[in-house]
Amino acid sequence: MARDVLIDLQHITKVFPPDTVALSDASVSFAAGEIHAVVGENGAGKSTLMKVFYGLERANAGEIFLRGTRVEFRTPREAIAAGIGMVHQEMLLISEYSVWQNIVLGAEPVKAFGAIDIRKAREAVRQKIEEFQFNLDPDSLVGDISVAARQKVEILKLLYRNVSVLILDEPTAVLTPQEIPQLFSELRRLRDKGHTIIFISHRLDEVLALSDRVTVMRRGKVVATSAASDLTKEDLARLMVGREVLFTSRRQPQEPGEVIFRASQLRCSDADHRVKLQGATVEVHAGEIVGVAGVEGNGQFEFVNAIMGLAPVTSGTLEVKGRDITHADVLARRALISFVPQDRGKMGASVGATILENAIMTHHLLDPSFTTGGGLGLDYRRAAAFTEQIRNQFSVSMGTAGDQFRSLSGGNQQKVILGRELLLDTPFVLMDQPTRGLDVGSIEYVHQLILDLRARMRAVLLVSADLDELFMVADRIVVMYRGELVANLATDETNREEVGYLMLGGEEATHAKTSA
Amino acid sequence: MRKQALSGILGVLAALLIGAVVMAAQGFNPLATYGALLQYSLFSASGFSATLTRAVPLILTGLSASIAFASGPVNLGQPGQLVMGALGATLVGLFVHLPSALLIPLCILAALIGGAAWAGLAAILKRAFAMDEFIVTLMLNFIADYFTLWAITYPLFDPKALSPMTSPISAAAWLPEIGGMDTSVVFMVAATIICWLLMSRGRAGYEWRMTGQNSLFARIGGCKVDANYVRVMLVTGALAGLAGGLMVMGGTHRFVKGLGANYAWDGIMIAVVANNGISGTFLYGLLFSALQQGAIGMELVTAVPSEFIDVLQAIIVLVVVAGRVSLNMVFDWLAARRKLKESAE
Amino acid sequence: MNVFFGLVSAMLVGATPILLAAIGGTFTFYAGIFNIAMEGMMLVGAFCAVLGSFFLHSWLLGILCAIAGALVIAAIFVLFAVRLHTDEFLTGIALNLFAVGLTTFLLRDIFHVKGAFTDAGIQAIPAVKLPVIGNIPFLGRLLSGYNVIVYVAVIATVLCAYIIFHTRFGLRLRGAGYNAACLSSSGVSPSTIRIWSLVICAICCGLAGAYLSLGYVRLFAENMSAGRGWISLTAIILVSGNPWGIAIISLLFGFFDGLTVFLQGSRIPTQFTAMIPYLATLISLYFYSVRKRRRT
Repeated sequence: MARDVLIDLQHITKVFPPDTVALSDASVSFAAGEIHAVVGENGAGKSTLMKVFYGLERANAGEIFLRGTRVEFRTPREAIAAGIGMVHQEMLLISEYSVWQNIVLGAEPVKAFGAIDIRKAREAVRQKIEEFQFNLDPDSLVGDISVAARQKVEILKLLYRNVSVLILDEPTAVLTPQEIPQLFSELRRLRDKGHTIIFISHRLDEVLALSDRVTVMRRGKVVATSAASDLTKEDLARLMVGREVLFTSRRQPQEPGEVIFRASQLRCSDADHRVKLQGATVEVHAGEIVGVAGVEGNGQFEFVNAIMGLAPVTSGTLEVKGRDITHADVLARRALISFVPQDRGKMGASVGATILENAIMTHHLLDPSFTTGGGLGLDYRRAAAFTEQIRNQFSVSMGTAGDQFRSLSGGNQQKVILGRELLLDTPFVLMDQPTRGLDVGSIEYVHQLILDLRARMRAVLLVSADLDELFMVADRIVVMYRGELVANLATDETNREEVGYLMLGGEEATHAKTSA
Repeated sequence: MRKQALSGILGVLAALLIGAVVMAAQGFNPLATYGALLQYSLFSASGFSATLTRAVPLILTGLSASIAFASGPVNLGQPGQLVMGALGATLVGLFVHLPSALLIPLCILAALIGGAAWAGLAAILKRAFAMDEFIVTLMLNFIADYFTLWAITYPLFDPKALSPMTSPISAAAWLPEIGGMDTSVVFMVAATIICWLLMSRGRAGYEWRMTGQNSLFARIGGCKVDANYVRVMLVTGALAGLAGGLMVMGGTHRFVKGLGANYAWDGIMIAVVANNGISGTFLYGLLFSALQQGAIGMELVTAVPSEFIDVLQAIIVLVVVAGRVSLNMVFDWLAARRKLKESAE
Repeated sequence: MNVFFGLVSAMLVGATPILLAAIGGTFTFYAGIFNIAMEGMMLVGAFCAVLGSFFLHSWLLGILCAIAGALVIAAIFVLFAVRLHTDEFLTGIALNLFAVGLTTFLLRDIFHVKGAFTDAGIQAIPAVKLPVIGNIPFLGRLLSGYNVIVYVAVIATVLCAYIIFHTRFGLRLRGAGYNAACLSSSGVSPSTIRIWSLVICAICCGLAGAYLSLGYVRLFAENMSAGRGWISLTAIILVSGNPWGIAIISLLFGFFDGLTVFLQGSRIPTQFTAMIPYLATLISLYFYSVRKRRRT
């Protein structure tokens, strides 16, 4: 069934200063009333293409047509006025405001003297909620509702402004497997009412399940567009990466060694005295990878902070190689733990510093060969040699050690961080979302590194929101729910549905399942 | 580094141009004015040594602010730390009787301790009560000002004087002069070199800089962030205190009302325009000292009020800082244009 | 009894400039701007007020000049911090130094004096006797007879609370501070909102400055803002921008300021009484910080 072309993007080129080519002569068209997915690995340009269309970025070259007329949105406001709305990956809502305040912000009904007509606003919001059957309370604070609910608020915000085209950027990244079907049925309902849905994703199963047509991008170019029914997952992956991609685990069976890391009944409270960890207990053996699954916000971050000594522990113990580190300071723990944090820029590096300065952190405290003059001075020659070692051993594509860290691509930044941490040669390695935001090539590389660690009998605790990653790499999977580790499953004896169910608070099934 | 120098030079030139326009609008002759500035600050023997002497408190307080800002703590207390350091040196100079070889180092030590203690007070309040050092150091400036004013008006007052000031400190504590130049300059240069070594070659300097850029990163890396915070406050307080002490030991040899003047605030400004770099602080400190020293002569020659220099300094700071950001944007934009052409081929 | 009224009067005199500046700073606070240029705006306002009042022979024009002067400082802040994306902290510091230098220079240049300028020709802002309330026996003396600007400050506080919490502009203003990207995607430019908040702040700081130089004295002295901009900033931080809280804190600081004047005749050396406002600020900061820590 041929549909009319609604949006036509032609020959779009975009360069980010100083030298990142995000889009190179990309062309794609979207039809009215369809669900159209744009897929590609991280850095392929799919988000950028939509941002250019939406007015968040200015293209360096190319033209955009809406219903046959040339348009150029200079700000999102213009796009919204034309009936186009975008829900971003990092949800842009104000936690301090209520649902209705967030929805009407920017288009508030007013009374005299600019005062907001609260009654009118709440009525309008309630109407929209009922029209689209979204199940939200207009007065609840956005900071208090679930992630899936927040996503609905974002969508409703756009529907309130009567958009007919919805662009969703990685909408399922923050949802559990159980919440995804609800989102999909809502999107299908919108399509059936005549809306056009464009959704950006790298989750191939979902893309094939939901969309009518799929466009594949690679390295800033559009590689293919076709009906979803004509493609398989392998086709998509091959188009995305340009070669065959394995979807099965490369894990070799291996007998684990002694217990290296043990957390017992760990309890932790946050700044407002809310209990965040309710007695976490887990063991990691040498030569074993234990994955921690869970919806973000169930205590994983506090767990990681407690292990590293960034947050105090109310009760319980932490041990590495038999040594009690429950109340040890950060440096004492670092002698035993390598740590790859979840936020490269905020926790893993100083982006304004040089690559060398980032590479030697912690080594400068633990390794006397890095200091001179009785510990007062830094041996910069040794530091440069060490940076070189990281570059070679971890295949980092970089200029010189004196370049700024931020000049590296995301994947290379992560490689430097991994190099620094893994060369600490500690028995225990803690990784938090180590492949977040990386391209497929880098993700493969990191997974191989993790498996190497396992082969060398180091103990790895891997916290990840990506179930595919956990199933590829981990020997055992534990699930964190409301501050407790509620399940401890061997990967080979469970599947994604069971883990997803546990992530939402379900009970563990008593019989073994076959792997998916 | 080269980009920094370029934006600095361009910024200063641009600011001088703006200053010339302002002067011309008021009916003054810019060229003659700038000429007089140069002559009185650099091109005469007495002017040159006076410029160097004046640069001592500017550069020392500038170093204090630079190191603090680069390492995290927002230490805006240099004015107060300066006068407390001066007070320390004055007390020792008035009441301790030792030969020069011992008294001078002791006075300097007292100055260092005075400044460090005053900054340390702010550090304690931050560590114990989480009181933001930004506000605390600012308030302590006023308190130190009034406290030292009281000290030189009542207990330490020189009965022979007509306005608030102390008696001269014992001659053994006076800093000798070499060819019309105060030896305080020697101490200033030594301090600059030590600071440079500390920040760019020292392990502590590395940790401090990393903490200043991303304290969470440093903490996770095992750096003792809290202990470092206190160390930074003490060191930067000591630097400002040293400035005060040197001013008392050289120059007037006594604590006169208004000793600190605007030096410490100028020092903060110098740190800002130098982007917290040690060598930049040194160079900008010399520049501003030359401007200020030349201003007096400038007024004699062309009747431009010497306060104009304060305006010129602030313009330089604004233009250089804004120019730095804009220059980065220009460079990035040029590089992006180049990449665009490449990818089109 | 006279002592009581004298103290209340001194309290309001001390509180008014801090309150006005803090109300102005509240707008920039909610907009998410780290605005430390209030000290500079106040100082320039004070100078321009004298300028206008002296040359134009009218205190009203003096006030308008004060606002204009503060707006110039705000415009420079906008140019550097908003348009050119210079660090707000650095811009603020540089602007404060610029304000000190400029006013000292112009004091010399225009009035040919150093230190301070006072002249009978400067028109001071008058006090006002409230029409009906002024006649009530006790309350009248308490509420009436103050300087125009004092009443302006009260009105400003009420307006501030209304605007920030009940109007569309206020919703967007706070949105700019909470999540500028969100506001932008809602179709409102955070930059525009921030510029408006700076304009409002400049108007308030200009009024505060005018009060300093034309309110209860008739002179301009070098650096006469004397740290009140910093104290206003502290007030804003202490109450997280709540206008009513700011009013109370300002009265408190005003009380200590008045106490300083009150104690001048006593045996305590003037230097120590002069320290009182700054010590008071430190003590309030102590209570604030400790309470914040206790809650965490």
